Amino acid sequence: MDLGTRKILDRSFTAVGVTSILLMAMALLVVIVPIFSNGIGAIFFKGTIEHRKLQYNEFRKGNPDVLQQQITETDSYRNNAFSIVEAFEAEMEGMEPGEKKKEYASQYTSVRKILAHLLGPLPGDMEPILLRYQYGATRWEKAEEALHELMFVTKWDYSDPTKMATQYFVPRADEFAGTALADLFPYMENNLEKMLLPEQTFYWGFITERSLDAHIFGGIWAEIQGTFFLAVGAMLFAFPLGVIAAIYFTEYAKDNFFTSILRSANSTLAGVPSIVFGLFGLAFFINTMKVSESKSVLAGSLTLAIMILPTIIRAAEEAILAVPKTYKEASLGLGSTKWRTIVTVILPAALPGIITGGIISLGRAAGETAPIIFTAAVSVGATIGLADVFNSPTPALSWNIYNLASEHEAANEIRHVQYGMVLALISIVLLLNLSAILLRARISQKLKG
Amino acid sequence: MAEATLDGGKKSDAFVLTPEKLRRQRIARFFGEGFLLLVASFVAIVVLFIFYFVAVDAIPFFQQRGFVEFFSSTNWYPADEPGEFGALAIIYGSGMVTIGSALIAVPLGISAAICLSDVLPFSIRQYAKPVIEMLAAIPSVAYGFFALVIFAPLLQNYGGPILMWAWWLIAGPFVILAVIVVSDLLTSGDKGGANRETMRFIVTAVLGVLAVLFLYWVGKTLNAIQILSGTNALNVSLILSFMALPTIVSVSEDSLQAVGRELREGSYALGATRAETIVKTVLPAASSGILAAVILGIMRAIGETMVVWMASGNSSHIPDPWYNYLDSIRTLTATIAGDMGEADQVTGSARYHVLFAMGLLLLVFSFISNLVSERIVVRQRKILAGE
Amino acid sequence: MQMTAEEREVNKVAAKSGANREIFLPPERERVKDGGKPHVSAKNFSIFYGNFEAVKKVNADILSKYVTAIIGPSGCGKSTFLRAINRMNDLIPSCYTTGTLMFDGEDVYGRYTDEVQLRKKIGMVFQKPNPFPKSIFDNIAYGPRLHGVKDKKMLEEVVEKSLRKAALWDEVKDRLDRNALGLSGGQQQRLCVARTLAVEPEILLLDEPTSALDPKATAKIEDLIEELRGSYTILIVTHNMQQASRVSDYTMFYYEGDLVEYAPTKQLFTNPRDQVTEDYITGRFS
Repeated sequence: MDLGTRKILDRSFTAVGVTSILLMAMALLVVIVPIFSNGIGAIFFKGTIEHRKLQYNEFRKGNPDVLQQQITETDSYRNNAFSIVEAFEAEMEGMEPGEKKKEYASQYTSVRKILAHLLGPLPGDMEPILLRYQYGATRWEKAEEALHELMFVTKWDYSDPTKMATQYFVPRADEFAGTALADLFPYMENNLEKMLLPEQTFYWGFITERSLDAHIFGGIWAEIQGTFFLAVGAMLFAFPLGVIAAIYFTEYAKDNFFTSILRSANSTLAGVPSIVFGLFGLAFFINTMKVSESKSVLAGSLTLAIMILPTIIRAAEEAILAVPKTYKEASLGLGSTKWRTIVTVILPAALPGIITGGIISLGRAAGETAPIIFTAAVSVGATIGLADVFNSPTPALSWNIYNLASEHEAANEIRHVQYGMVLALISIVLLLNLSAILLRARISQKLKG
Repeated sequence: MAEATLDGGKKSDAFVLTPEKLRRQRIARFFGEGFLLLVASFVAIVVLFIFYFVAVDAIPFFQQRGFVEFFSSTNWYPADEPGEFGALAIIYGSGMVTIGSALIAVPLGISAAICLSDVLPFSIRQYAKPVIEMLAAIPSVAYGFFALVIFAPLLQNYGGPILMWAWWLIAGPFVILAVIVVSDLLTSGDKGGANRETMRFIVTAVLGVLAVLFLYWVGKTLNAIQILSGTNALNVSLILSFMALPTIVSVSEDSLQAVGRELREGSYALGATRAETIVKTVLPAASSGILAAVILGIMRAIGETMVVWMASGNSSHIPDPWYNYLDSIRTLTATIAGDMGEADQVTGSARYHVLFAMGLLLLVFSFISNLVSERIVVRQRKILAGE
Repeated sequence: MQMTAEEREVNKVAAKSGANREIFLPPERERVKDGGKPHVSAKNFSIFYGNFEAVKKVNADILSKYVTAIIGPSGCGKSTFLRAINRMNDLIPSCYTTGTLMFDGEDVYGRYTDEVQLRKKIGMVFQKPNPFPKSIFDNIAYGPRLHGVKDKKMLEEVVEKSLRKAALWDEVKDRLDRNALGLSGGQQQRLCVARTLAVEPEILLLDEPTSALDPKATAKIEDLIEELRGSYTILIVTHNMQQASRVSDYTMFYYEGDLVEYAPTKQLFTNPRDQVTEDYITGRFS
């Protein structure tokens, strides 16, 4: 081959390598950026008067005087809309029964539904039982979506059988042309803001409040707390065990067949699929040991603990092996026993490294879902107290992200909650990892002197 | 010297013990080390327990239903009365996403590892490593959420164009490179000076036009593809490959680092370019370690639950045609996660035990691959150490 | 060489305790009080790493309160011998010994020997200064604390005494709570000596204590050894023949695991008996 071609090949080889690294960085960005930008929306958003009503009624947050004043203000605009609706109902009463009336009636039902979705229960509606129907749109962007739905009927065009059907919109006002309801549409379009009074809202309660009506409203505190209990519980079991096992492997284990079996068991455990840990937790901790009646934080923590144990052992082993041998010699040379040398010299020197491994494992325990599905997680649940960890299950961020995104009846309506949860989980895990990375950088700097 | 001695010259100062003291010391040491050993063996005990308890709940399934149906039928109707438990399509689905993710992650991961160990200067490497760690740290459910909520709709709405651009961006440079190399090789027989340059130019031009046409034609075909559902094997494979990448990169890099500088310098000294040094010298020496990395990465992909559960479509059939990555599939892990909710109401039924049978299958697979990769790493270490 | 009355007396004691060679004391003006008794005696003492015999059947007595230097080319077993005296070689799994090594009349490798207590009596300073990543005070107090001293005042006393003995007190007395790793290399090494002295050993083993230091710091360590001579039995392994001749009273020369020559330093350097010794000290090989 030509030297020129060889050089081109060499350069493209480098380019492939650099590109793959860049691709990985890009993958990270592609995953994280939308989650961050959308997740922030769970806390910063344009909140409507309905949000403030809810906050006051459920959590006693906000200024009741200002709220009352705003309610009066919006009610004046709402009443206009309601009177249009009433006028139309009266008009319908007077209509002759027939196809036309039937069509109006069915159309009108969806209009009423959307209106209730926007403004809360309409006059004449029964007081709804579910919280989600007691309030209108709490978030302005949801209100705008609902408004669009009110203004237009979505239709599908199937005319070209070779292609997928295309969507198109028909103004609803046209369907009601000539009736009293025709006035409602321009009125709503022009006055929606005055009816809902959107304000830039910083909703810190998303983190600190419980959820209301299966996450339709409210915050995610129960999930955050559950995640915290599970992860910390797992660490309580796994950390001491892992460090002691690491001490054995580095300082006491002889180089024989039995030790190699133990080591191989460690890497086997590290490779077990996480869902199998879940099965094991169910079959062993709950069905056999009966650590709790059914799912519980304790069973989940134990399951997570055996999952993160190999990581902790490996990290602790590495940290202990990184302690200069001279420290050990110095201590033994002064007449210290082996055990005291380990406790007073080796462990303190290895501690930052051990803690780094611990932090990373903590993050892993917080983020795992599969092991807790059968052992600890419930979809909807109240915040539990510390005394309940032995017998009650808990919601947890990881599980509820899955549940809200895939199984919730209104999964599309509460995307903002899902994004907020993912953001919370990723933030927790990445902050833990970041602190571990920084800690490690400091250690290596210290070792350099 | 009249200063106070540490223990006032007591008898305990003596370094020779009485038999009584020695015995006590030995007993204390025995129990101390015994305790440490016990804790260290805990992991091995746990592994045994996992095998035992998963197997104990898996065996009743095979006793009731035998092996044939499970491994050969694609009829998966566990809820029916009587149920059908053909897991072939599910096993196939697991295999499909695993192979798919390996196809993406292995080349990407190995070239990234080479780049980290041999190409990038140390200053940049310092920043690249945390990126990889972050990629590994993101919880699987977050990836699953991304796949379901962000990526699946994208794939569904803009699937064709996405595939086309991916094809052009990835295949384009390689095809052009291939044109240059092939035309060089084709004309290398002729050493006749100026004549050769002309020949080479013509060959390159012809091949180049053909290559561009090829790229365009495949791109156009891809562009016309309509993806019916964004939750499919392609989506899952792509996301799983992200998740397997960190493992592959870090383990391969360790193995490449272990090769040592002498070997590289030897190759450079013979006039090899960096690419030639790596491909012909370093990679063969590190190959077994890289193989171990690939196995570990694949294990991560096959054992992953949340992403496949959320974004694979969960339909238990073998895609038509069998290589159709744009079809929905279902995997072992997702089946266990998804079906246990109903099955654990009926503990003891085949419906419950079949999930443990799947767990056992996963467990055995991960155990074997782990053993194999461990053997490979040990062997490489021995070879490099010259034993 | 003519034996003096005192030497004859010493040799009588030595013979009783099993010493197997004649002992020569240094000239009158260099003698130390109560010194010259066999403190450590090796008899047919060999050290193995697996099948490899690193030290071969050594017979020698180390004399109390004098400085004995051990020289020889790299890999000759000199460090191995030194580390065998306080059983630091126990850390190497494949290492074992044959023959006997007596310290204070007791077998170092005996069945009832507690190596931890032994190391308290036989202190060691290593090639590279190895202070713990703790404060200067805690470094010195580490040993006394190990052996049960808890009283703050007493610890302070021990720390000051040890630092003074190691000629470091004046340099560090104002910053005892600082991290010991902030000291210079020479200071660190003297700190390590002080740390060893704090447990009040009888023997001080120095394993190439100056090999990682600059000439100035080396001179200070040598001064320190001179200072401690007469209070402790000191064994120093060194690569540097000048250093051996400067600081020691006796010198052992090891070559490929054999103790080739062991004599008063002056005699060994001026009038070696063995051809190998002569070749080594004249620099034919190293």
